[in-house]
Amino acid sequence: MSDNLTLPAQQGSTGASTEALLTVEGLTKHFPIYGGFPIKRKVGAVQAVDDVDLTVGVGESVGLVGESGCGKSTTGRLITRLLEPTGGKITYAGQDITHASRRQMASVRSEIQMIFQDPYSSLNPRQTVGTIIKSPMEVNGIDPAGGREKKVRELLELVGLNPEHYNRFPHEFSGGQRQRIGVARALALNPKLIVADEPVSALDVSIQAQVVNLLQKVQEELGIAFLFIAHDLAVVRHFSQRVAVMYLGKVVEVGDRDSIYNRPRHPYTHALLSAVPEVAMDDETENRERIRLAGDVPSPIMPPSGCRFRTRCWKAQDKCATEEPPLLQISGNREGHLTACHFPEDPSTEARTEDVVLDPALKALEDVEKD
Amino acid sequence: MLLEVRDLHVEFRTRDGVARAVNGVSYGVDEGETLAVLGESGSGKSVTAQAIMGILDVPPGRITGGEVVFQGRDLLKLKEDERRKVRGAEMSMIFQDALSSLNPVLSVGDQLGEMFTVHRGMSRKDARAKAVELMDRVRIPAARERVKQYPHQFSGGMRQRVMIAMALALEPALIIADEPTTALDVTVQAQVMELLAELRREYRMGLILITHDLGVVADVADRIAVMYAGRIVESAPVHDIYKAPAHPYTRGLLDSVPRLDLKGRELYAIKGLPPNLTHIPPGCAFHPRCPLARDVCRTDEPPLHEVADTRGSACHFWRECLNG
Repeated sequence: MSDNLTLPAQQGSTGASTEALLTVEGLTKHFPIYGGFPIKRKVGAVQAVDDVDLTVGVGESVGLVGESGCGKSTTGRLITRLLEPTGGKITYAGQDITHASRRQMASVRSEIQMIFQDPYSSLNPRQTVGTIIKSPMEVNGIDPAGGREKKVRELLELVGLNPEHYNRFPHEFSGGQRQRIGVARALALNPKLIVADEPVSALDVSIQAQVVNLLQKVQEELGIAFLFIAHDLAVVRHFSQRVAVMYLGKVVEVGDRDSIYNRPRHPYTHALLSAVPEVAMDDETENRERIRLAGDVPSPIMPPSGCRFRTRCWKAQDKCATEEPPLLQISGNREGHLTACHFPEDPSTEARTEDVVLDPALKALEDVEKD
Repeated sequence: MLLEVRDLHVEFRTRDGVARAVNGVSYGVDEGETLAVLGESGSGKSVTAQAIMGILDVPPGRITGGEVVFQGRDLLKLKEDERRKVRGAEMSMIFQDALSSLNPVLSVGDQLGEMFTVHRGMSRKDARAKAVELMDRVRIPAARERVKQYPHQFSGGMRQRVMIAMALALEPALIIADEPTTALDVTVQAQVMELLAELRREYRMGLILITHDLGVVADVADRIAVMYAGRIVESAPVHDIYKAPAHPYTRGLLDSVPRLDLKGRELYAIKGLPPNLTHIPPGCAFHPRCPLARDVCRTDEPPLHEVADTRGSACHFWRECLNG
């Protein structure tokens, strides 16, 4: 790897750090809904992200997981300021960027970059690969030593593409290769933080591994902090040192990787982990707990009162409907492992004496079998 | 055997030449058995299913050889009107994207009922009653009210249940599910997958499950057929394949899935890209990406070697692969 690509903040290979690069406090985004006749007015709001706290340390990789509609992508877009927050505070390297103007953002923009999910629609089909990767440097008026073209060639090589392909167009590349172009573009400005929104979910299994390895290499060798947004729990577990689980616009549990995957406390985290089909290498998986939720995520327009998960939770009681559980460190949890639940589960993912099956269809079928 | 596909060949005429999507696929499904067909995009897994169902777009597609023997008859020799009687009544299909597979301007009840009015000649009223019964059977809550609703009023998981209900309607002997849960969230995916598995057991149907997700397969399938570039490269009972794959491609796929015990370490990645179907490499199609490839792989196409009683691998060096 060439020297001029290495960033000053070179961290250890684990990248864990106490110094916060990005701090998000009480971040909220409500999308208004307009209706009524003849005068249109606001009739409600999609509460996409509600009161989210999150920190990303220098050189740290934080995973953000949840099902579709839980607000994880919106959070990413708010942090990169592609969306204007409704409330809360975003601090990047000590600077409040929550409502920073275009001019104030200019210097920060080059340090926070984004990788998008769809490698087909996120690259301009009329531009060559060289132009695509070069344009962030042009926009920001950056002239690297040796010229922009040289830098582009170095970047292409870094992400595992042939530097000779400088003049080709995106359609000449496969999905995995296009995602590499997206990575090269994000690296063009030597960023300190990359927000990767589902960077591998559109790719085939064998290609997915190639891109995950590339991102991991970039993270470790260049010491770049990542906010890794994904619905695939296995990929996040592989890539992230800390993980935050979101449900319906809220962070319900956050902690280091080991705490979330092996000692989860929030019922939703339990359900989510139990629902992931595991590649059975041995009989070990027989010991996993089995939880089958009923129905789908409720609408974020009218989220349930109190705890938002209570409508699908098997432990819900009256308190859950009236009182919203704060995100706290529950006794027995490690430092930094926070859970928002009144009645947390045991910190284990092993099979319980009785499966939790809330889905009426499965319940009925199973009861038929028992008779 | 309920269904036996023998040496099926399908090709597509494209501007860049002839794309050979399926090149001699053979597999079979027994009554009450689940066969998982595993492969990446472009491996020919869906095209094979379309050829079995008789819903292949012809042209540009063309079946150039092989047989599809279903309950003793070669479906490829049937006339279109005879074929139509088989489709839906004796075998049916569940698609990935339930929203675009359902008609947006007809109520769910009308679409379910159509199965009975068309195939069984029932009156509309009786068909509606049947539709409610079916929705109840896949446990859609408040079926009596929801039968009048339209697909957009259903959530993703519920829509997929409607698709399953439609596939089950005439109690077919075989269901083909093409990526049935790929568009769904994990918690909903688990519900739908288990529902499908249990209904299959209840009705003793054969099920062909087409997927790219190795995890989904492990939980529900009896047998697995792995496809690459339009061929079956490995076919085996589900537990054997996870314990010890006998083809380097299968091994590569299994190794490239992130696992708990390997967290943080570099993932194994199969190098290179899947082949262009208009220019499939000679010999073994996998040889440019294969760590075991030798000269013979570049020239000779490997046959499906018998690894064990019910197990086959299309690799010259399957013994080496099996031993790790």
